Amino acid sequence: MPMKGRFPIRRTLDYLQRGEVVFKNSVKIMTVNYNTHGDLSEGARKFVFFSIPQIQYKNPWVQIMMFKNMTPSPFLRFYLDDGEQVLMDVEGKDYKEISEHIRKILGKSTKVLQAEALAKMEASNPANFGPKKYFLRECISEVEGQVPHPGLVPLPKEMTGKYRAKMASSSED
Amino acid sequence: MFQAVVRSRTPVVRFLSPRAGVLLETVRGRKSRTDPKAKSKAGRIKTPSPVDPVEMVVLKERFTEYNLIMRALRMEFKEEMLRKRYEEETGSLAEERAKQESEEHRSLMAWNDAENLRLRKIRELRVQKEAEAAEQRTREEALLRQQEFERYIQEKEMEILQLQEEAKNFITLENLDERIEEALDNPKNYNFAVNKAGKTEKRTMLQ
Repeated sequence: MPMKGRFPIRRTLDYLQRGEVVFKNSVKIMTVNYNTHGDLSEGARKFVFFSIPQIQYKNPWVQIMMFKNMTPSPFLRFYLDDGEQVLMDVEGKDYKEISEHIRKILGKSTKVLQAEALAKMEASNPANFGPKKYFLRECISEVEGQVPHPGLVPLPKEMTGKYRAKMASSSED
Repeated sequence: MFQAVVRSRTPVVRFLSPRAGVLLETVRGRKSRTDPKAKSKAGRIKTPSPVDPVEMVVLKERFTEYNLIMRALRMEFKEEMLRKRYEEETGSLAEERAKQESEEHRSLMAWNDAENLRLRKIRELRVQKEAEAAEQRTREEALLRQQEFERYIQEKEMEILQLQEEAKNFITLENLDERIEEALDNPKNYNFAVNKAGKTEKRTMLQ
């Protein structure tokens, strides 16, 4: 089945995961006002077309809204959770510049992201066993090369406690 | 004791919640509510298994001690978790961090405002230039229109002059007789051939 749409690469996981803008926790809504025609809105149009999927993928809880042809010049507006509104003019800018600008003012820096990733790794210790929802494995029998679960594959006779007890008692006698 | 079959224990791990016994999902098995007891079990009296009192005492002691220790450990760990979370949210470090973050936020907002200002200046310049260009264009168009009008007027004047000149040669009621005489005296011959170069070649004789 062929890919759908004009630039179907925008729908690939690889492309989406390469997004660099991760918003701070205080950003709740992002609004983009741009025009469908005109040279000055070109950067904004490209931004909406290429970068918004990446941003939404990395920030699934941020509401992003697009408004077309409402104002003569394009801009972005961010609504933070303490009621503050941040206006960002993007007239005549390139879409890469816009992404960089956003990352600078309202995105988590690389240091913070790395620290978060580290904390997440620490919290999920692969040595812990438990329900699949929280841990990697439930039982050691799930690991390749380990003794399989006796409920699924019967143990060889020599490993059962019954046999061993019998052997021990017969050897004592 | 439940008569029904205990089939599966729903696997539940309630993080940081009191363990109020194990959850059992009782299942009816083969028979329904209304089915009578089996005939082989008609006179069955279920007696509990005999209990050794000495063993029971020892076991009880051990169990109480074990439960105490386990509960204590669980509470310890829970408390540690809660304390960590509390420290993170409302500790001294957290306050400093929050202050720092708000500082950074303010500086970034200031930078953003500076950018917006810069772009606004550029935009104002551009709008101004566009307005001037539009003005210029309207002025030029007005000029052109004026010139066109003048040219038109001049053309019309030329036409009028030409007409006046031609009017001298018009045939009026006064010189009608004279002109008729003139025309009859000079017969014109329109029968001629033209060669490719445009010159007249032959002329037929007027009869």
